[in-house]
Amino acid sequence: MNIQTDNRPGTDVEPPPQATPASPQSWSSDLGATLRRLSWGPWGRIGFVVPGLILIILFFVLPFTFGSIFAFVDWTSYREELRWAGFDNFRLIGELGVLSHAVKVTAIFAFAVMVIQNFVSLSLAVALQKSSKINSVFRTLFFIPVLMSPLAAGYIWSAILRPEGPLNQLISIVVPGEFDYAWLGHETSALLSVAAIESWKWSGLVTLVYIAGLNGVPTSVLEAAKIDGASAWQRFWRVKFPLMAPAFTFNVVVSLVGSLSAFDVIMSTTNGGPGNATSVLNVALYQQYSQGFFGTSSAISLVVTLLVLCTAVPLVAWLRRREVSM
Amino acid sequence: MSTRQAVASITVRSTVRITLLAAFGLLWIALPFWFLVVNSFKTEGDASVLSLAWPSTWNVVDNYRTVLEDGGYLRGLVNSLWIAIPTLAAVLILGSMAAWVYARSNARSLKFAYYASILSVLIPPAIIPTIFVLQELGLNGTRSGYMLTLAGTRMGIVIFLVTGFIRAIPPHIEEAAFIDGASRFGVYRYIVLPMVKPALFVAAVLLSINTWNDFFMSLYLLPEPERATLPVALFQFASATEYTFRWNLVFAHVILTNIPLLLMYVVFQRRVMSGLTEGAVTG
Repeated sequence: MNIQTDNRPGTDVEPPPQATPASPQSWSSDLGATLRRLSWGPWGRIGFVVPGLILIILFFVLPFTFGSIFAFVDWTSYREELRWAGFDNFRLIGELGVLSHAVKVTAIFAFAVMVIQNFVSLSLAVALQKSSKINSVFRTLFFIPVLMSPLAAGYIWSAILRPEGPLNQLISIVVPGEFDYAWLGHETSALLSVAAIESWKWSGLVTLVYIAGLNGVPTSVLEAAKIDGASAWQRFWRVKFPLMAPAFTFNVVVSLVGSLSAFDVIMSTTNGGPGNATSVLNVALYQQYSQGFFGTSSAISLVVTLLVLCTAVPLVAWLRRREVSM
Repeated sequence: MSTRQAVASITVRSTVRITLLAAFGLLWIALPFWFLVVNSFKTEGDASVLSLAWPSTWNVVDNYRTVLEDGGYLRGLVNSLWIAIPTLAAVLILGSMAAWVYARSNARSLKFAYYASILSVLIPPAIIPTIFVLQELGLNGTRSGYMLTLAGTRMGIVIFLVTGFIRAIPPHIEEAAFIDGASRFGVYRYIVLPMVKPALFVAAVLLSINTWNDFFMSLYLLPEPERATLPVALFQFASATEYTFRWNLVFAHVILTNIPLLLMYVVFQRRVMSGLTEGAVTG
């Protein structure tokens, strides 16, 4: 009854409640459906959805659709008219070596963030799972970077990681001799360093999601495992970890997908350098845009979107299948 | 004897745990922030050494005054507040209104609209076409254009969290209110809105962090200094001296840019922590 009514909202008439034939068996569902129809009416629902939906259509759906078109249009700030370009934009950034390099850098960056962030956060969550006064102090402390602007986090860490900076000063205390490695000056260490900064910024939030997941594991199951003689290590990997899989799925997907569109931290630390070692897709996009190449930057933007979709959809499907249902 | 040993081993273990946590917290959080604050108090020459040491000459007033006067801070603060507060309010209200309908309906068209909204959480905004749409609307480079774009791209998270939250609650109270003759808006205002407060609070926390710190979209949509939000003001101030960072001033700007959110966090800290650990994020 309910579904039927909902499928044809335009044909709804508003009958008085008595007009509904109430057979004894379906009395309650009929009444509920009638009530719902009465109270909402065909337009009531739409009135509640439309204001938000207009914003989403104008500023998400429409740009998304246009973006897929602009990626194939020859559009620069140097010429007035737009021209259909087929795959020319992709060919152009492909030949310049921008595309494949940026995709590679972005993929490595995202993977590194995912690993560092989840390793740090899962360890912290295990250490801080129980609610106690001291644990809530630590949780509060580790959450502070989440509030920082990623740009600001980038400035702080680019100073810390300078050759003469405090990190190398600390290392010099432990390691004999003058230690002055330029963390952001070498290609590999720069990419891993910006990934670590991005992880630093978000790990407080990821930790809280893991704590929520750990708290969702029923104590009865854990006690049963304990009685059966499972060690703490076994209890974690064989019982807790499979049962908190939804939190793991969420965190892995969010950290991967989120860092595929990273921008702020890199702009304030390396600005894509040294050379273009940390020039992820969004940085390449900004470089194309600021030179006035709107067609090629749309092409890069489309690549980011495709990368996100091609990562998220199979990953969610795969991780979901591994989740244990209680 | 064995009980005493067990108790002793638990105490040892918890001491080890807290020591490790404290050491990690020192390196991961305390030292970076100490470094940030102490260097924002130094003179330019002192700060260029990049040490963790106490300032030899205090230059607090000068540094912070320079940031307030030349760093575009006050203008950025006004712009950021002017943009963040109405956007947040609109997104929370419009998002929860739509979420109520999505949660209580099976219509295929509404399901489609719901999934389109949720997709905006996952897919990053297409920035070049957004500029095109804003140009067509005559809103490119304006605060309202940026606010509308923020609202349209951030509403998905509210819809996602609140729809999930409402679906877990049976519709009896709303139906009872309808029987008693309450209007649609009355039911939303007096029953649904108070009911979804926990989910809205979590959404508000995530969104205020997200909108206050947004740099990517505001760099494209509001690049002019007069309209710059705080992150863009910070970026422009720091980039103004590209090769010789005046760390004392950059750090003072960093602190001032982040202080509004940190103050909010101090006030709501306990609710933020409990809201986020109760699993509202994972649904």
